Amino acid sequence: MTNSLTGPFEEGEPMKAKFSDYLNGIKPGLEEMIRILRKDYDYVSVLATDSQGLAVRISQRSKSVSGETMTTERGIVVRVCKNGQYAEYAFNKFDPASPEKVAAEIQGALEAQLVMLKLAGVKSYVTPLLPDEEQTLFVEKETRQLPETADVKSLVDKLGTISDRGMTKNEHAIECIVSAQSTHICKMFLTEKRDLCQSYVYSEGSIFLVVNREGNTQVAYESVSGLCGPELFDGLEAKIDKAAATAAELLDAERIEPGEYDIIASPEVTGLIAHEAFGHGVEMDMFVKNRALGAEYIGKRVGSDKCTMHEGALCAENVTSYAFDDEGTLAGDVTEIDHGILKTGICDALSALRLGVAPTGNGKRENFEHKVYTRMTNTMFDSGTDSLEDMIASIKHGYLLEGMESGMEDPKHWGIQCIIKMGREIKDGKLTSKVVAPIIMTGYVPDLLGGISMLSPHREVFGSGGCGKGYKEWVKVADGGPYLKTKARLG
Amino acid sequence: MLDRLVELLKSRGVYGWEISDEKMNGWEFYFIRHELDQHRAKNVEHINVKVYQITDNGESVGFASAEIAPTASEQDMEKLVDDLAYRATLVRNRPFTLTPPAEESSSDGKASDIADISADFIRTMSELPETAGEDVNSYEIFVSDISHRLITSTGIDATEHYPSSMIEVVVNARRDGHEIELYRKYDSGTCDAAGLKRDLEKTMNYGRDRLITQPTPVNGKFDVLFSGSDSCEIYNYFVDRMSAGMIYRKMSDYEIDKPICGEFSGDRVTVKALRELLNSSDNHAFDGEGAVIRDTTLIENGVAKHFVGGRMFSCYLGLENSFTPTNIEVTGGTHSEEELRSGKYLEIVEFSDFQVDSMTGDIFGEIRLAYLHDGEKTVPVSGGSISGSMNDFVGNMLMSTGSAQYNSMKIPALTLLRGVTVTGAEN
Repeated sequence: MTNSLTGPFEEGEPMKAKFSDYLNGIKPGLEEMIRILRKDYDYVSVLATDSQGLAVRISQRSKSVSGETMTTERGIVVRVCKNGQYAEYAFNKFDPASPEKVAAEIQGALEAQLVMLKLAGVKSYVTPLLPDEEQTLFVEKETRQLPETADVKSLVDKLGTISDRGMTKNEHAIECIVSAQSTHICKMFLTEKRDLCQSYVYSEGSIFLVVNREGNTQVAYESVSGLCGPELFDGLEAKIDKAAATAAELLDAERIEPGEYDIIASPEVTGLIAHEAFGHGVEMDMFVKNRALGAEYIGKRVGSDKCTMHEGALCAENVTSYAFDDEGTLAGDVTEIDHGILKTGICDALSALRLGVAPTGNGKRENFEHKVYTRMTNTMFDSGTDSLEDMIASIKHGYLLEGMESGMEDPKHWGIQCIIKMGREIKDGKLTSKVVAPIIMTGYVPDLLGGISMLSPHREVFGSGGCGKGYKEWVKVADGGPYLKTKARLG
Repeated sequence: MLDRLVELLKSRGVYGWEISDEKMNGWEFYFIRHELDQHRAKNVEHINVKVYQITDNGESVGFASAEIAPTASEQDMEKLVDDLAYRATLVRNRPFTLTPPAEESSSDGKASDIADISADFIRTMSELPETAGEDVNSYEIFVSDISHRLITSTGIDATEHYPSSMIEVVVNARRDGHEIELYRKYDSGTCDAAGLKRDLEKTMNYGRDRLITQPTPVNGKFDVLFSGSDSCEIYNYFVDRMSAGMIYRKMSDYEIDKPICGEFSGDRVTVKALRELLNSSDNHAFDGEGAVIRDTTLIENGVAKHFVGGRMFSCYLGLENSFTPTNIEVTGGTHSEEELRSGKYLEIVEFSDFQVDSMTGDIFGEIRLAYLHDGEKTVPVSGGSISGSMNDFVGNMLMSTGSAQYNSMKIPALTLLRGVTVTGAEN
């Protein structure tokens, strides 16, 4: 398997991403706060975060540097349970010398809520107690650079050069926006018996080349991502030519004739299908609410025999390959679909308790202020043995789909919507020069996966996007797979 | 802490700075059916610092920003200010001035009772007319009391206090063993009990109809009627294209005092930015850079009137009294509901995710529920999608005279786009 990195990178020697001094400093105070709260609650856990970042954005008309990325944060969330009712308190002003003060603040706030809930006559959804067994873990993953100490001047210059070069690559270019973000994640999960600490760095970069010809505006997009530091951005320059070529093709693209076609999904589009089809569709907090049709299909066929899909922080190395999730469950690698048969979903710890299954290490928060939901990490189709050339040769009339824009799922009805940048026409087993854009691909997930007939050996993983649950709770995810042939409705 | 940050910033002799301090006290409630899954509270403070530097003998302005923890030490604060002061010299933008203070920029507001607002939401949800066929699957309630203070090197020191709420609701409908869901997310200042009930009742009706749909049979061009919150995406297209950022970057071709479209055969939009809209969660006296938000006409009868946007791009374009808009009102419709609901058309009331790309003009959306009207009878349909370009729709779109409000947008209740490509779902 390869990913979207263009490494290996020579800049900087490998080193451990050092765990946060701040978190180490407040740890004794948090442990004391847990002891105090345990007198009143059946379960107490703490997730403390201190994630620093660097974001540089350079375009022809605006340039900026920021210390904030999508995942930078410093704060604490306390989870408690009493009589089967779970509650949380999030805050970012903690004095480790006065843990009793914060414990009282937490109890006061949650008690005030219970008073209101009692007056409103609200009933509890009672959930069993989370287990708490002795466990320690200290993980510092490798990187070559850290966002905190990166050479910002060199990075600004590098992105500026890429933006300038992008503008020279297409006579219709009106803007070339180059972004680079790197985040050093530090998280600490504590209970009475558990002490888990992790530190790792991930980075992502992108090029948006905007072209305009006689009022026709098009945007070409290329990205890199990886479980590494700002050294990743050395790989961005190699993406300019592809962005420029795509932009030129988009200016001449035609609208597609709506209909059902044989398609070949490029690895990026394959990843989008994986994410929308049986990523969201098997998030098991949705099973608890009876919001997912997948719950009724465990052990049943949902795709062709060629269709195998994995999900988990361990099944690829990219932006969300952590050691443990936001509830202290160790990272996993789940086989969701095995040769077309739906085997299982992914699950956060509380949903696992309610369903009587084991958690899979997929309990994630947008940040410390937000609730945990079951969320994806790396969602990947397994590869096959067919060459891309053979796949193209097998199609009478269809399209090779490239570039993902966005997607949306309907886990209750198994509808899927994928917005795709462009399609290359295939006629009589050969690519023509015709390009269609943009494309909306829709359909019924089992039909889409059931139609999978060929898969290439080559796999890629993409981690430059974000994922929402509904229209909120944005987290980092990665997805990918090989070239994949199936049938789909395109408009 | 803020005083010390100001001292440090002043001592470094930087060109300018802004400090944003937002304090949020929030309550959250998560329900499965009507049972409480979890309750959460939060008490957080976010302090963001932005530093501006002049370089190249005044020919360039750079800026750098970061968040600093409210518990930061003196050493942390000094390092942050020094880092920002250095980083701001590394990026070179065309020179611009920072937002000056204005008398109107200071506003008070009072603390909101988040317990009362939360109770209103819970009570409203418990009073919905659920049936055996249509009911509430789950809902999440978020209520916040927010205090925001902005201090800048130009003398702005403005504070405002406001409530912000959101409720996410999943509605189920079932028939003959088949169950579907409909998703809703409502943002507001406080709880609009009547509006919430009204819309959720309508949603349950849609759920009932979705269970009896046929596959969308149409393949080709069709007139498509929008009658829900998805219409906001259509009108955001106009707002985005009037933004200083898009104009300066040449990503929008709108020009002041010129029509936004070559020829009009339909209605002409009038788009206004408003400081206040009833119960909007975006009622602010000033924007993120301290610019006063004023009632301003952006587009009048299809003619561009005022570009608005952030300080840097507004300065580049020479815009006065510019700001980043919050609330939007759209008018210009000349048609009654009866007129728009006549003849052959497809009314789409549920999309998977309707999108309008402001830069390219492309529109997309998978159809989850639509009503196909052939002039005589109406058939509920689902599946397939619509696509097209706003560049083709702006000149002939039709709007209703009646309006509807979706949090910070007050727009025509009905919008008709003509000649939209529909990809059917029928095999």
